[in-house]
Amino acid sequence: MSVVVEGLTKAYGRSRALDGLSFSAYQGVTGLLGPNGAGKTTLIRMLATALAPDGGTIRLLGMDSARDQAAIRRRLGYLPQETGYHRAFTVFEFVDYVAILKEMVDRRARHDEVRRVLAEVGLSDVSHKKIRALSGGMRRRVGIAQALLGEPALVLLDEPTVGLDPEQRLRFRELISRIGEDRTVILSTHQTEDVTALCARVVVLKGGRQVFEGTPAELRALADGHTWLSDERSGVLSWRTGEGLFRNLGDAPAGSRLVEPTIEDGYLLLLGGIPAGATR
Amino acid sequence: MNQHTDRPGDRYMQTGWHMDDDMTAMYAEGLLSPTTAASVEAHLLACARCRELLKPRVAQPRLDRIWDEIVDVVDAPAPGPFERLLRLAGVRHHVARLLAAAQSLRLPWLAGTSLTLFFAALAAGETTRWGGIVFLALAPIVPALGVSLAYGRGADPTYEIGLAAPYSAFKVMLLRAAAVLITSVVPALVIGVALLGQTWTVVGWLLPALALTSLSLLLSRWFEPVHAAGGVSALWLAGVLWTNLHAPSLAMFGGAEQLAYLIITVVSGGLLFLGREEFS
Repeated sequence: MSVVVEGLTKAYGRSRALDGLSFSAYQGVTGLLGPNGAGKTTLIRMLATALAPDGGTIRLLGMDSARDQAAIRRRLGYLPQETGYHRAFTVFEFVDYVAILKEMVDRRARHDEVRRVLAEVGLSDVSHKKIRALSGGMRRRVGIAQALLGEPALVLLDEPTVGLDPEQRLRFRELISRIGEDRTVILSTHQTEDVTALCARVVVLKGGRQVFEGTPAELRALADGHTWLSDERSGVLSWRTGEGLFRNLGDAPAGSRLVEPTIEDGYLLLLGGIPAGATR
Repeated sequence: MNQHTDRPGDRYMQTGWHMDDDMTAMYAEGLLSPTTAASVEAHLLACARCRELLKPRVAQPRLDRIWDEIVDVVDAPAPGPFERLLRLAGVRHHVARLLAAAQSLRLPWLAGTSLTLFFAALAAGETTRWGGIVFLALAPIVPALGVSLAYGRGADPTYEIGLAAPYSAFKVMLLRAAAVLITSVVPALVIGVALLGQTWTVVGWLLPALALTSLSLLLSRWFEPVHAAGGVSALWLAGVLWTNLHAPSLAMFGGAEQLAYLIITVVSGGLLFLGREEFS
């Protein structure tokens, strides 16, 4: 297993950001799904060794994150949620700068690596452009490029698709799925579409705790028998669809018009505090 | 070296000689003197026969490496003026790039602070109420604030990425602090000598500057660097203001005070070094 987290806790003053969180991740893309404030960014920062937990253990790539920080960092790629850029740098210079932070001191080898990752994210043609001249989507790709420097075994992406238009998101999904073919990728997101499209496994966080760990299909299955359509609003969660019917989640009344649930249905049931599956 | 035996009319006859086996082998192995090698290279540009003779003696990997280096020089973007200046000064290329990313090592900051000190020194030459003290009061806070703007979450847009990278954050901080000290202290000394002549005022601020800077660095273990330097600078200015409230006074710059600044510098530096792991 590439990532093993056990009993992780972190508090900011009286607020508990993580509250005994445990999960594991393997090669491929694992999604961290949860609403804002669920603890995703805190968790990703801890996995990136940028933040120390108050309690619990983290083992990354077989190493202890508290003891083997330098060794882990050499095999880690990290895209923070709010990636900053030195705006005066060109794309090449920026990625080159991060490569230096990754201890790539030999200039020739480093430049080759910068060219490789820029080609991988499709930015070779704009490598000489100033970062401030790029669109938001391209800047995110620059962020991904720096995360791929040194062929990391573990890649951490914190909300990489936020603020992107649908076409850019599709491109990103294609890119992330390619990255995850031979690496472990932890993808933090609050969008179930990202999980559906990319993830082999998903961990759902709520209030700093893990409330689900499994495959996207298992997450969807939580809403089996708990999703139905009706003419009137019913269920614990209910919204009007474009067809004029209400889609409802919760304990379905007898004779309800049950429908095939989506991952979002399972996710919403979990977030709604309903003990999904308990009353199937 | 053989005298030429080319056909009449050969355009290369003008060279008047050809390489023999010994010379070809020595050139290929890099054993010729620089002058002879330059002569051979001039000849090779014009002589297809000698190029053919040389070809089997040069290892393909070496040729590939040379070609890659040419491509790299042509393809990698030219560094900015400050980075070029650093390289000219003998700073290694990767260190130059790490320094070029700091905003207080860029032209706007350097020009702004130099101009401020210029006017402060002009004021010091006047016999107004505060004229004598303003240069001494401002000169120490320029490096302290400059250092604080060279690293840390608020000043470095890639701080978070740097935290998860193996390159020591403490080392980056020290490199930039040293560079900011040099680029702050040297202009201040030059301005002081040019406008004030060789008086003790020109150097009286040096130990306070080191004390404020090292104390700010130490406090940045617990506070945002800009806040730490801002607080220390505010205290310094308040002290100068207080001692000059009723009449012009150099009480902050006496012998005992200079000794105290030296002690603060040494103690802060020592504590900083002992707590270096905290910065990573």
